Amino acid sequence: MTPDQQVRPLIELQGVHKSFGSFPVLKGVSLSVQDGGVVCIIGPSGSGKSTILRCINGLTPIDRGTIRVGSFAVETLKSDKDLVPLRHQVAMVFQQYNLFPHRTVLQNLTMAPIQVLGEDPTQVRERALSLLAKVRLTGKEAAYPGELSGGQQQRVAIARALAMQPRVILFDEVTAALDPEMVSEVLSVIRDLAREGMTCVLVTHEMRFAEEVADEVFFTDRGVIVEHGPPSTIFKAPGDERLKSFLEKVL
Amino acid sequence: MNSELKAFTFGVVGVTLVLSAILVTVYGAETGRVVQALAVRTPLLLSGSPDFSRFEGGFAANIIISLWAMLIAGITGVALGIGLIAQSAAVRTPSVLVMNILRNSPWLVVLYAMLYLLPFEVDLFGTTFFLSPLVKSVIGLALPVTANIAEVFRGGVEAIPSGQWESARSLGYRRLQILRHVVVPQAIPFMTPNLMTTYAMLFIGTSLVVVTGAADVLSVARTVIASDGAHYATAIYLYVLFLFFIFCFPIAILTRWLERRVRVRQ
Repeated sequence: MTPDQQVRPLIELQGVHKSFGSFPVLKGVSLSVQDGGVVCIIGPSGSGKSTILRCINGLTPIDRGTIRVGSFAVETLKSDKDLVPLRHQVAMVFQQYNLFPHRTVLQNLTMAPIQVLGEDPTQVRERALSLLAKVRLTGKEAAYPGELSGGQQQRVAIARALAMQPRVILFDEVTAALDPEMVSEVLSVIRDLAREGMTCVLVTHEMRFAEEVADEVFFTDRGVIVEHGPPSTIFKAPGDERLKSFLEKVL
Repeated sequence: MNSELKAFTFGVVGVTLVLSAILVTVYGAETGRVVQALAVRTPLLLSGSPDFSRFEGGFAANIIISLWAMLIAGITGVALGIGLIAQSAAVRTPSVLVMNILRNSPWLVVLYAMLYLLPFEVDLFGTTFFLSPLVKSVIGLALPVTANIAEVFRGGVEAIPSGQWESARSLGYRRLQILRHVVVPQAIPFMTPNLMTTYAMLFIGTSLVVVTGAADVLSVARTVIASDGAHYATAIYLYVLFLFFIFCFPIAILTRWLERRVRVRQ
């Protein structure tokens, strides 16, 4: 890693504002994520956590501020066409999995790289098979999403995100819809990715997991980032009163 | 398909009995002779030719017109439907306008309009195309059906959860690609029953093309009545009614069966 890369983060948000109608969701959010870093965003419901993720990959256009991902100035990309190269680099996994129910597990992984990126189907297929092995779903290639458990579907969704060969994966409360016994199988997949050096941004309610994997934790409340720092500081020695009371409730 | 099979049998037997009863009530002792006369005219009413040698008129014409109109309206309807759900208001507003004009036009009025709006023949690429009454009928029926199909398309697309759009967008798909690869394949089961209902409606609507001068079953029926005598009019119209019923009723039954299957699968 050159010094320049170390200095310049992969993702940088500065003064991001976003309102839905007259309701301000983000009121000047700034954060940065280093290449290979794992960042967790925590905070009460409705504090704008998910909106931050959606802004990073351009699903939600912002009102004010700048978002840079690698060499892309996200706020300047207006059409879906302009956003294609960004979405090649920034993948996203959703709370509700959002797999394509009319396609098999393997097709869920291969369709976007073939149809969007125009890659060679044979190579994509090989990559998809090895990704399924990585998320421990070998043998489920021909199954349809509806035939899988929630935990399995979410692991397919992670593999689908990886099939795009992204530089960053955004995880939007990916364990929130799962039965408790399936949470750990999904978290262990994410843990593997984080250890391999994949840049991850997670919105999560799993505080123990955030404490374990994160390089840096951001606490949001009412559209602003109240406090951020390494997990040891955030969880063991929180400074802000709102963060203290939030942690008391969830830990 | 059990309950639908029952409904089908009941419907076919019941309607046949009712129509027969009307026939007997009207013609009394003469019924036998009238039925014989209908049998003689059956090839003409069904195919437009006295011996089934060609299938260009009569009930066959209704089927041909309905299939062409459905095909054309299917293409234009999907195009208009894509316009209805467009993000840009510059596309959406005119689409909504066109859809509402077409959907609220009485079919008979559109057919009459086609008679006078469309030329007798058109020159395209140096070839002269003769716009027959049949072609005018097809275009006239395809126009209002376009609006119906556009609405069916829009409804089907909107039945798909927005999460599908979001995840497809985050994988780099663009709007039309999402429709083609993700949303429409999932929406087809929702659209199919409505499309079939639209087709049945269109088929019943083909009885209106008689005003364009196309040789459809009604125009053949009128010719038969003119030559055989007004005495037979009731029998012949009952017969035509029966033909429309026997064609459309299975479609209705099949639609109901499909609807139930879609509900079960959800």
